Formats: sequence, C-alpha cells, structure tokens
Amino acid sequence: MPIRISRTWFGKKASGETENARRQSKDRSQLRVGIPKVLNIWSTHQFWVGFLRELGIASENIVFSSDTTEEQTREYGKGRGTVDCCHPVKCMSGHYGELIFGQKKKINILLSPMIHSLPSMLHGHVLDTVTCTRVMAGPENIKAGFLKERDLFAENGIVYASPFVSLGDRDMVTGQLYPALKNVFDLDQEETERAVDAGFTALDNVTARIRRRGREILTWCAQNQKPCVLILARPYHMDTGIGHDIEADVQACGYPILWLQYLPVDIDLMHWLFESDLSVGRIKSPFDISDVWTSSYSSNTNEIMWGAKYAARCPWITCVVRFSSYECGMDQPTYTATQKIVEATGTLYFKFGDLDSTKPGGGIKIRVETIAHYLGKYSQEIILRKASYLSPNCPLGKMPNRTTTNASVAEAAPRSRAV
Amino acid sequence: MGQLVTIDSDIASKTLRPAVQHYQAYRPRPFTREQRENTTVLFGGLTWKHERLMQGALHNLKYKAEPLPNIAREDLDAGKELIDVGACCPTIFTTGSLVNFLKQQVTVHGTDAVNQKYVYLTAGACGPCRFGQYHESYAMALDGLGLRDFRVFLLAQDELDQGATGGGGIDIDLPLSMGLIWAILCGDVISDLEYATRPFEVNPGQTNAVLKDSIEYMYSVFNRRPQQGKKLATIAWHLTSGYFTKALREVRKKWDAIEVDRTRAKARVKITGEFWLQTHEGEGNYNIKRWLEQEDSEVLPPPVAVWLHYLMHPLIRKLEHRHSKSKHPKRDEFLLKVAERLYVATYNRFRKALADIPNELPDQMELKNLAEPFYHFELRGGEGHMLIGKALYAYHHKKAHMVCELSPYSCMPNSMSIGSMANVIGKHPDLLYAPIEVKGDAEVHALSRCQMILTEAKKRAQSEFEEVLAKTGLTVQRIREYEREHPELRRATYKVPHKGYSGTSANYVLHLAYDRQLAPA
Repeated sequence: MPIRISRTWFGKKASGETENARRQSKDRSQLRVGIPKVLNIWSTHQFWVGFLRELGIASENIVFSSDTTEEQTREYGKGRGTVDCCHPVKCMSGHYGELIFGQKKKINILLSPMIHSLPSMLHGHVLDTVTCTRVMAGPENIKAGFLKERDLFAENGIVYASPFVSLGDRDMVTGQLYPALKNVFDLDQEETERAVDAGFTALDNVTARIRRRGREILTWCAQNQKPCVLILARPYHMDTGIGHDIEADVQACGYPILWLQYLPVDIDLMHWLFESDLSVGRIKSPFDISDVWTSSYSSNTNEIMWGAKYAARCPWITCVVRFSSYECGMDQPTYTATQKIVEATGTLYFKFGDLDSTKPGGGIKIRVETIAHYLGKYSQEIILRKASYLSPNCPLGKMPNRTTTNASVAEAAPRSRAV
Repeated sequence: MGQLVTIDSDIASKTLRPAVQHYQAYRPRPFTREQRENTTVLFGGLTWKHERLMQGALHNLKYKAEPLPNIAREDLDAGKELIDVGACCPTIFTTGSLVNFLKQQVTVHGTDAVNQKYVYLTAGACGPCRFGQYHESYAMALDGLGLRDFRVFLLAQDELDQGATGGGGIDIDLPLSMGLIWAILCGDVISDLEYATRPFEVNPGQTNAVLKDSIEYMYSVFNRRPQQGKKLATIAWHLTSGYFTKALREVRKKWDAIEVDRTRAKARVKITGEFWLQTHEGEGNYNIKRWLEQEDSEVLPPPVAVWLHYLMHPLIRKLEHRHSKSKHPKRDEFLLKVAERLYVATYNRFRKALADIPNELPDQMELKNLAEPFYHFELRGGEGHMLIGKALYAYHHKKAHMVCELSPYSCMPNSMSIGSMANVIGKHPDLLYAPIEVKGDAEVHALSRCQMILTEAKKRAQSEFEEVLAKTGLTVQRIREYEREHPELRRATYKVPHKGYSGTSANYVLHLAYDRQLAPA
C-alpha cells in the first residue's frame, strides 16, 4: 500500500518525498476514462490524451467513442435528445450512450469538456478564438438527456466530468481544469499544471507533424505541377458520420487532400503567398483576416476564412470543397464570402451543404464525378494563372513553366462551379 | 457583402505580373462630422417606446435620427431574398426591415441620395453568435440591392466611450451612451407599467392612450436633457440628478387616471428567450405579448436592463475566479461591482418614481446560482445561463404561472438552453414552460403550442384566486364595496405587494385581507 507523505508547513515538500512515491500515492492506472469523440475533440484530442497520460492514466484506458453512425444514435442515443439542432451536436447523445452502455469494460469517468476557446494559428491576429455557442454548450445540453428522468451516469457507476476550458488561452487552462477536476481525479495544483503542459506539448507535436505532411504534399504538387484539393470544413467533419468521408472519394480520383486545420504555416511559405497583400498594407500579417472577415470571434470560422484566402492564393490548390452541416449557424453567414474569396482567382469551389445524419451516397457520387471532371479539365490552367500572380521565388520548389504569356493567363476566365 | 478589389497593381507594374482582384469585406465609407447635419442616423431593434426615447437622446445631441419602421411580415420575405439561406429569423427580419425601408427611399429619392442621406447604426460585438454578425447580412443585402455605398456602422455594447466612429460623424462618447442607456431604462420601467396595467384596465384603450402620451412626454424630456460636459460630469449628473425621476413622477400622475380591476384572475406569463425576439413587439414574434393578453393573461415583459446588467457579470465572475487577463483584477472587480450597484440603484430610483409597479431587476448572482447545475455561467452566446436562471427565478419566487421562451428557429445559444431545460423540468415537473420556436411564418403552430401550456396556467391562476378567497373569507362583492370606499385601490399606480402567490388577483385579495384588515375576524 502506498504511503502518503504529508507536506510540511508553508507548502514545502517533505524532504523524503520522491516523484515516484507521490505518483504511487495516486495510482490512476486502473481508471478508465471515456471521451466522446465529438465536435472540437477532433482538433484537440491529443491535448486530452497527453493530459490524462501525464496523470498516470494508461493509454489503453483512455477510451474514445466510435465515429458517428446512424446505428450508434439509434442504439445508444434514442430518446435522449432534448432539442432539435445541428447534427454534430445532436449526435453527441449516441456517443455518450455508447460510452455509458456500450463498453465491455466499463469506464469510470466520462470526460466531456466544454471547450470555450481553441488554440489556433490565427491567435493574436483575430478578435478571439472562441468556439461556436452550440459547440461549447453541447455537453450541458446532452447531459440533460441522461439526467432528466434519473441519473444514468451514477446508476452506471460513472462520474460525469465536464470542465469549462479555454484551450485558446493557455495560461488560464490550469486554473480552470484544477478546480473542475480535482475531485474527479484527486488532483493537486502542481500535477495539474504538469499535465496541462504535457497536453499542450502532445497537441503541438501532432499539429506540427501533420503540417509537415501538408507541406510535403504541397511540395510534391509544386515539383510535379499537380493539383490538390483543400477541404474547407470544421474539425468534426473529419468524422466519417458527419463529413460522410466525401474527401476520401475525391482522393480516390487521384487528388491529394489537405484539411485547412493542417495547412503548412511556415513563415517562408506564408510570406510568399501573401506578399502582395502585405506590401500594399491590406493585411498586417499572413494570418490577418480583417480584409475579408471583420467579426473574427469564432475560431473555426476564422480559420475557414483564412483557409479560403490561402486556397485562393496557392497555385496547386486548384479546388476547394466546402462542407457544412445542416442548420449550422456559424457557417451560414460565411457561405457567400468564402465562395467569393476562393473564386476571385478562378479556383474551383464546390459545396456540400446541409450535411445531416443520412449519407446521400448517390448524390455524393455524382458530385464527386463532377469535381473530378473539372479538376482534370482546368487544373493546369488554374495553376498557371495563380502562379503568375506570385513571385517566382517559390519556397516549395520550381514554379510552373511561365512560357504562357501573362496576358493569355489573365484573359482566361475563371471557371468554377458550385454544386 | 464584400467586393473584388485590385490589390497589387503596384507590384504588378514593377514585376509584369498580372494584377489580381481579391475579395474584400464590406467597409463603409466615412461618415464625417460635416455630414452630420444632413444625414439621418437610422436605428432599430427594440420596441417603439425605447426607440422613441432613444431618438430623443439623439436629437438632444443634434443628430438627425430616425428609428426604422416596426417589423412587418413582409420584412421576412425581403430578408430571405437577399441573404444566405439558414439565417435565424431575427437576422432575416432586421435585414428585411432595413431593405424595405431603403427600397422605399430609393424609389422616392434615388440611390445616390439615399447613400448620402442615411447611415445605419446597429449593435455589434456579441461574440460568435449571429447577433454579432448581423452586419454581414446587412452588407450582403446592400450588395444585392445595389447599395454598396450605403453606410452601416457598429456600436459595441460593452464600451461607453468609443470616440469618433467611422469618420467622426457619430461620436460614441459618454453623453451619447448615457443618454441611450437612460432612455432604455426609462423605456423599460414604462413598459413594465404598461403590461401591469392593460390586462386590468376598466376602460379598454385607455392604457394605450396614456402610454403614447407618456412616451411623447418622455421624448421631450430626453430632447431637453441639459448638457453636462463630455466625461465624468456627465456620469455624475446622470447618477445624481432628479431630472429623470421628476419626469417619471409626472408620468405616474398620467397613469393615476387609469382605473383597473385587479379581481380578474389572469395567468401571469414570464417572457424569456433570445434578446431580439423577447424584446420585440410586433409581427416578428407573432405579436405574442398582445396575443397573450387577449388570451386572458398578464405578461411580464423582459426589460432590456436585465441584458445590460448581465453584460457586466461574465466579466465580474471571471475576475472573481481569476480567469481574467486583467493586470489589476481586484481593482477592476471592485470598480465593476460599484458600477453594478449604481446601475441597479438608478433602475430602482426609476421604479420608485412609478410607485414601484415595475418589477425589480433579478439578482444576477441568484440567476447564476439557480442555473449552475444545468448551465455553466461562462458559456457565452445569447443570454447564456440567464434563460434557465430566469425560468427558475420566476418559479421559485412565484413571479409567474408559466414561462414562455421565445426562440428563433436555428438560434444557436437558445437551442442549447432549451435542451438543458429538459433537465430542469425533470427536477421541477410542475414548472410550466413553453419553449416557442419562431420562424416568422408559422404563427398558428407557435401560438397553439403556447396555448396548450397557457390553458394549465390559467387554471392555476383561477384556482389560486378561489383559494385565497376561501382562505380569507372575502368575496368579490365585499372587495367591490371596499374599493368604492377606497377608490385609490383601483388606480393603475396602486402598488399591490407580493404576498407569495403568482397571480396579481390572489396577491391583491391577500393584501386587502391582511394588510388592510378587510378579512372577517
């Protein structure tokens, strides 16, 4: 049995206390923590994994719910919905239910954070990086469905934990997670701080790694003069039950896929893409979106606007595919603006709007064929035209053959379609 | 909406690169100080009463100002035509209202004249909710109308002294901000008086006539407001002057003339919901307040003052929890709490001038604590935790028989608190709660849904009235006789204290029975 070592007065550690003994005194290796894989968990999951592992939770005991499916909602979420809203929030009932009722080895804690703000490459360049009002409040709404008649968490021996956390303001996170989780995990302030640091390190590492892959893709495209496709969507559209895996169908046509959340942001590339905007003072930095979006409060919306600007400038992104869920109030005011930003340079723009729980397989197939047709027919022309707007000193490698005269490129009318 | 602009012609000329036209968001042309005398500032979004008083405050500062016409059903169609699909109905209605007004003006004056003659001032900066992004819809609609040169300016809700805006034509300084806030507070207390009177008026139409007269009188009061300088002197004068309370006492005298019959048992309905929809009086919310009165109810309207009070509190809570980035959190917390006390004290002064008939502002801490188990106080967007807090406040304090929450279709924050209310209803199954989704074009559906809950509320109002009559041994006939001896009881300005029942009539009977010793020994 681990021996607890008391602290001395004034909070100084007892001389005999070792890190190991302290950790042993809070053995959490048998705790199982379930996390609903929903909403902004899609872009912050590595933070939570790093945070929990630092607290001594074994990797195999960190359980994420499955991708969203209609079966999941039917089996575990039926009758638990409390209001009609967008599908990404509504489907959370199924994820909660799966973690409560669908685990062979029961979880002890259901961790569903209310994420108020997000880490973002645009932090400091925009008014705020807060999340959608529905997304941040989603856990309060969904938990109601599991508490309204009786406490289904308690009945299943599960502690429900839903800390309010501003991941966009790193210096506030420990102060938020410690009071919210201290009784759940028997935390102290110092270990919370260490766990938060570990969480952000894990998140930063994975983000940097995927961005490097993004740069490799763009570099390959530049060296081979091949087009790629940018997915302009919110993080949870990576869920195959919400984004319906549409990008995989486009990729199957032979086009590399980039997600806006993981676009490379190296300074050389940024300055090359936004050189003209910076030189005329239209923006203050490559991450400034005030030229196209003045209400820059929402993190994911801001990134969508920035991603559209990026795509409009990057020659090898010849096509943007926009995803938007049914009744998304955050996307609604951005539809026309993003399309106009992208199409300003003749980049192809396609939108899959009102995505809901049912996958419209036939419609998606026809649309993907349309996208592939336009990509095949116009990509080379688009690459040439967009490259002609930029400096020849491309950090990704050689620029396209500029034998085509500027005039003829400029005359080529943008051809884009929204389906 | 934005436009395509050539941005790198200079670079292009130096490098022989073709110029590219990138999209740029809407930016209004400057509205200069010199243009102020010949330019009308349009505004809207509140009730006609609030807007008329705000117009008085603006005229007082020599602005030409005009509220947009009250929302009509046609505005919904006009808005839908010009903005992206899926917008919430307040966005559609307010955009459509601006569109229809401008269309009409263009017909009379022409496009160029309208662009010169008017600017539109609206609230902005409300975080990620679409309320803070209305201006994107306005811009898109203007683009669709061919009025890209029309000027729309945003007024931040959390700064009283923003300085010259958009070229100096609008100076958002303390005299303007204090004038507008005081107009809102006066509008609120008069509205409360109106809704507490009309359901009980003996002579139909008298309340509306006195109301109109009172608002016009208060307009002139705001229009004649003495100037007190630009900064601290203005604040000090507004906080200490008897100018507005004296005027409100004059208003009270007008309302003394209205005779009421408080023995009518009416269901008391607390209105909550999304800010615009709950505040609005008109076709934007199916005229639901007026409809409720026709259905034998007494409405508790939502004062705008509660929203302004709420705006202070997330910041205070953050400072208390040290979740703020402020360098001096304790000082800021102290100052904010002082400001809050002064604000509430001012509202109470105005209430007192109207015989304390207007309802008190709910304690924000209590709203937070009531909502806490169901909705975290730091969740932003819309009214946040207040919707749950207000429903529970009305329930626990017996302020109303039912709560009617007006929620725009697809409203992001409202849909979340409505969902969380399922948990509240699970814990308090006798709380009568009617969440009404408003699309703007589905009146029968919304009203019939409300009526289902209202039927139960009316039964409760009637049964508690009968209960107190039985309990006190009084009869309506005995009360009538007593009222004849004491005619002041039938004045609209006679304050009936809350005696622990939700209904006005039940409290009135108890008041007569025990406070005025009318009950048989």
